[in-house]
Amino acid sequence: MTVKVEVIEGGVPHNTILAAGLVASLVLIYLTYANVMSGTQLFSFFGGLGAVAALVWGSHAIKHLCSYGIGTGVPSAGMMAFGSGVIAMLFATKYGVAAPIVAVVLAAVIGAILGFLSNNVLNMRIPVMIQSLIEMAIIGALVLMGFAAMMTGSFEFSPLTSGSISILGLSLPSYQASFIGGSLIAVAFMLGGIAIQHPFNACLGPNWTQDRMLMLAAECGFLSMIAVSVMSMALINIVAAVVSLIVSLVGWYYTYVKYIELSKRDAAGWLDSKPIPDVEGQ
Amino acid sequence: MSAVGAKPQAGGAMDVPATIAGIILLLVIIGATYFLVGPGLMFMALIGIIIGGLAIAFGVHFVPVGGAPAAMGQAPGIATGVAMLAAGAGLAGLFGGAWAAEQGLIVAVVTGAVGGGLLMAITCMFVTFIYVYGMGIPCASGKVAKDPITGDTQTEFKSQGTEGHGLPFVSYVGGVIGGLLGGGGGTLIYIMLLDVYKEALPGMMGALPAQIMPVAVSMAGIFAVGMFLVNAVLTAYNITGTIEGPHDPKFKRFPRALVASAVASALCGMVAILIVAM
Repeated sequence: MTVKVEVIEGGVPHNTILAAGLVASLVLIYLTYANVMSGTQLFSFFGGLGAVAALVWGSHAIKHLCSYGIGTGVPSAGMMAFGSGVIAMLFATKYGVAAPIVAVVLAAVIGAILGFLSNNVLNMRIPVMIQSLIEMAIIGALVLMGFAAMMTGSFEFSPLTSGSISILGLSLPSYQASFIGGSLIAVAFMLGGIAIQHPFNACLGPNWTQDRMLMLAAECGFLSMIAVSVMSMALINIVAAVVSLIVSLVGWYYTYVKYIELSKRDAAGWLDSKPIPDVEGQ
Repeated sequence: MSAVGAKPQAGGAMDVPATIAGIILLLVIIGATYFLVGPGLMFMALIGIIIGGLAIAFGVHFVPVGGAPAAMGQAPGIATGVAMLAAGAGLAGLFGGAWAAEQGLIVAVVTGAVGGGLLMAITCMFVTFIYVYGMGIPCASGKVAKDPITGDTQTEFKSQGTEGHGLPFVSYVGGVIGGLLGGGGGTLIYIMLLDVYKEALPGMMGALPAQIMPVAVSMAGIFAVGMFLVNAVLTAYNITGTIEGPHDPKFKRFPRALVASAVASALCGMVAILIVAM
């Protein structure tokens, strides 16, 4: 029933990106477990890197789905990813060290049912619909789990819901100073939601190139990671938070420079105007 | 609204076997929840969540979503996508309703509905200002010859080669009704989950009820947002992106969306309840 209007020409096939994104994201999120083994919080930034890996895969999954012209806009796919992902992610945090794996499995089940509903009950009839919504839900869950791990140093339920505040040098337990209790999860939700839908929304069109879009996805991911690392200062010790901030700043700068390079490569022509023109005279 | 390609030609027809499979899935999920948590607060919460999801899905059909063609003055409606509009109305309603959560279910749901409706009314009003005074286009529907509410004729105001433009009165009213239903439905989901978490979290986390309040509020809030977005996007898939309002022929497709959103809400609601029940 639908016409595929844009084919992916050249570049890395989608299944390769899918496999690489899933494995990289899971491994990087699990690397934050080094926190528990070493007794520090210095390895929290791996969570953010895992989220970036999932976001790169996510932008390509959105491209894969939206190239069929779903008619509802690219952002809706990102919202769907996080709406279903957050449910799987929060449920999975109860399973301790198995949380990322449980999140992937549960998100796949939720995504499959949502895919069946949209493809069959709502009569969308898009060949990649079910697979794409499964991927979307997994990506949403992994990005949120990565940001959660980066902000708190853990992906388990109790560290995510309880923190501590210090009043006059005393450290008191508090549920408000936590990832979920402080509603930082809502910020992570939107930071991920914007980062996942922006790359394809910005790069779509006849001169779409895969490497440019994926670089933009990584750039958006690192940009979100900067915000997450700033918020993590409230929850983890300051040295670990500064390490996260430096990693995300370096990653963002590198991907930004690369993205500008790729944009200039793909552009028909460009004029290097200055952002603020010099005032002449007066 | 994506600029990519043609819209899918998904017809208005219902796929009967798939719909029956969907209803069976819904009953299985409800039955599984009953089996796992038994009758009582948690099971009633699931029913409330399903009703909230249905209200959201039905409400989104009323909202005049124009998308990119509306921004160019070539189709009626508000010039953005369903996800943005529904999220705006739903979240405005949710914030209003959450504020009144302590005053009981009815007051909170009505407050949420008013919040959502108010946001849509203000949005529609300023959209009309911009269309009429900014873009200089009259409001005319392309789907009906006469406005079903005011009886004004539309065709002489419609430019050639467009599907109508601006925001006709019936679309405005539809937008407000959609906001009311969406805001009320979102708030109902939030209140139901909040009740469950307030009841179950103190025992689960070994803390006083007053201490876990932030966690309960935050979890219920983020789940309500998630379910709202899932329901809104499923409905957007049903209307394939754009709709003019309750007078649009696409409005008649709503039974499909009700089945889909009942199943989706039941599924998400079951997972959200099982976090504290298992």
